[in-house]
Amino acid sequence: MEETALSGKTWVLLNQEGKLIEDIDTDQIYHNSFLHITEIQQMGQYALGNLEGWKDFPQKARPGDILITGRNFGAGSSRQQAVDCFISLKVGLILAPSFGAIYFRNAVNSGFPVLKCPELDELVAQRILETENEIKVDLRSGKGINVSKDRPFDVEPMSAVQYDIFKAGSLFMYGKKTSRDNGK
Amino acid sequence: MGKTFSEKILGLKAGREVQAGDVVTVSPDYILSHDNSAAIIKEFQKLGIKNVKAPQKLVIILDHVVPASSEKYALNHKVIREFVVGQKIPNFFDVPNGICHQVFSENGFALPGKLILGADSHTTSYGAFGAFSAGIGRSEVASLWATDEIWLKVPETIKIEINGSLSPGVYAKDVILKIIGEEGADRANYKAVEFAGETVKSFSLASRLVLTNMAAEMGAKNGYCEPDEKTVQWLENRARNDFSEVVSDPDANYEAVLKYDISSLEPQVACPHTVDNVQSISEVEGTGFHQALIGTCTNGRLEDLELAAEILKGKKVHSQVRVLIIPASREEYIQALKKGIIEIFAEAGCIVLNPGCGPCLGAHQGILAPGEVALSTANRNFRGRMGSRDSEIYLASPATVAASSIEGKIADPRKFV
Repeated sequence: MEETALSGKTWVLLNQEGKLIEDIDTDQIYHNSFLHITEIQQMGQYALGNLEGWKDFPQKARPGDILITGRNFGAGSSRQQAVDCFISLKVGLILAPSFGAIYFRNAVNSGFPVLKCPELDELVAQRILETENEIKVDLRSGKGINVSKDRPFDVEPMSAVQYDIFKAGSLFMYGKKTSRDNGK
Repeated sequence: MGKTFSEKILGLKAGREVQAGDVVTVSPDYILSHDNSAAIIKEFQKLGIKNVKAPQKLVIILDHVVPASSEKYALNHKVIREFVVGQKIPNFFDVPNGICHQVFSENGFALPGKLILGADSHTTSYGAFGAFSAGIGRSEVASLWATDEIWLKVPETIKIEINGSLSPGVYAKDVILKIIGEEGADRANYKAVEFAGETVKSFSLASRLVLTNMAAEMGAKNGYCEPDEKTVQWLENRARNDFSEVVSDPDANYEAVLKYDISSLEPQVACPHTVDNVQSISEVEGTGFHQALIGTCTNGRLEDLELAAEILKGKKVHSQVRVLIIPASREEYIQALKKGIIEIFAEAGCIVLNPGCGPCLGAHQGILAPGEVALSTANRNFRGRMGSRDSEIYLASPATVAASSIEGKIADPRKFV
């Protein structure tokens, strides 16, 4: 069996009331002042740079960390820098109850794992999921576990196309593979 | 069971029967990109492919920072121009032309029954002409340039029926703000939105574009208005290609059918910092601001400029506010010039800028300082979008912005029309 789970340490994006921040738009994730940058390596330093209380995220994040955020994450512009800045920081996974439509596609097509977790607000409210927890999520079954607290939770598993692109590494590599398979 | 527009058109493109939820592989009719073509070119070159597969499908329009405001933007534009020549891309519109969505439409690419994908979230606009058009990201566009194919998930559809006649001083912008305020910024995430009903039929194409443009602010994958004789008339002498209309079946399966009667609707204003934070004008009247913007892909067309000019004619804008006017395209600019509208703006003390996106996305031409407030006809008021993260943006119709520009605070346009 191939490994289909990701694990890492969590960062939970909370507001002052201790709830998940909702509607974090692309301008808050990656400000328009840096849109002229075309190198992914340079984008990480600006991740969440316009989100109150999280400007130091690029300094705090470690490779493989998992971002936990509120519904409609990535609403707004189609700017892919808002996904690439997390790839640049080597963030391992983003969990949210829902994502902006284009944001979700951008992430899928970049081979960057994003998963919808409808019960996320509840998990955070009940402190089943907190910052600096070690969690593990299976991309195909949708089974998650908070290892730090030994508490299970569910996410929506990756669709076939999302998983295939993730495994291929990018949309283009996936496309190459599908054309090859179809040509057989 | 019948099919929705989106199911039908994606089925046609995929060459098989499909329904909402299916994943299809399709080849679009046109692929739009703007200044972000520079970043797309970089991605494309990484793929190791020498030539764009279908250069005739690419439409590249420079609009975000035109003319270039810095060396970095200038270099991006230069890279794009060289790529266009090298790849023999026939449909390139350089900096004088205006905002991509307006230029794309005026040049007859936005047609009923076409599949259009663009590297801009407001690509939803072309649904006003009965196209399936959706915003995608940079990697997707790079991959499309290389392979001419992409996967799409067939969206579920929300139908919004709008009926009733608008009161004077109330416009398509107020209607869509009302709907977004009621339904929320993520109500239509991943979904198609069809705008139907008598009000939509009575709208000009310019007004329908306001609806489909802002469908993106409900999270929609695409917006749609059923094409009719007005659509066909608008496209006369403009359409680049043959087209055939694709419409939803009467018994199509909708995720929801929402009904709005807008007969007693008041002017609406989206307050900082989300587009769904909508209030009636009476709630926000008197709010001060520093800069007004009439323009953008939402409300920079002749219809909008005429409306603003009627209100501003013979008047002066308030001395405490700066008023920017940005026609959506060179074509709209020329028409406004010929009609004497530009003169009205200049006489009133407005700053008339060249067609383009202007300060809407905070790159140039009127950036906000900390503590400043803007009142704009744009589609987005996210925190920091027009400059400092400590600035605020209110969104309204061109009439509301024009009336407010005279009073120097948010004002009810019904007093002026």
